[in-house]
Amino acid sequence: MRYMLMITDDGAERLSPAEIDATPEFTAWLRDVESRGASRVGTLLRPPAEAVTVRVRAGRTLRSDGPFAETKEHVAGVEIVECADLDEAIAIAAAHPAAGRHPIEIRPFWPFEEE
Amino acid sequence: MRFLMFVLDDPDLAGTADANAVPWVEEAKQRRLEGDRLRPVGDATTVWPKDGGGTFVSDGPFAETKEQICGYDILECADLDEAVELAAKHPMAKLGAIELRPVWQ
Repeated sequence: MRYMLMITDDGAERLSPAEIDATPEFTAWLRDVESRGASRVGTLLRPPAEAVTVRVRAGRTLRSDGPFAETKEHVAGVEIVECADLDEAIAIAAAHPAAGRHPIEIRPFWPFEEE
Repeated sequence: MRFLMFVLDDPDLAGTADANAVPWVEEAKQRRLEGDRLRPVGDATTVWPKDGGGTFVSDGPFAETKEQICGYDILECADLDEAVELAAKHPMAKLGAIELRPVWQ
């Protein structure tokens, strides 16, 4: 099964991709994912201040700076995880170095060929 | 420049325009590196921080919002303007919103 893990933060402290890769906590998490026979592809996002939201209303393109909603936390990065089931996705999320600091939302993929 | 595009659905606008994204995928061509649909927020699970350390799990998304993430695409575009132009052509721009986030490479 495939899941998107939305790793959130409140924007207070941001590590660069290279800094994250160098932390022992992140390396340990990668080893944990691998030891389960699961796999992951991660994408780190630039801070929400660099987000642009686009809506089209009555034929006009409305472009606004910032994320789509004013929320306490924003998505800081996503991990696309291939693993056995939701329980394993939860275990992988709970073991992520960001878990315990900010929420991590897990969403199953819903391929278009599945109705 | 690489962008992660969150595709958002506004339940209040459901059915007011054609939601078929196939023509958009054609239009995006090689600028769209990947993308997929996600199960609705009703199927979301969130791992929360617990006071005093550790985590707990609950059903539902991390934030209750009117517009909800329903899919994503990864785009490789010349610049932000090209990504905005492409995002505006996505059917969900009419039926919700598209949030563009530069990827931190």
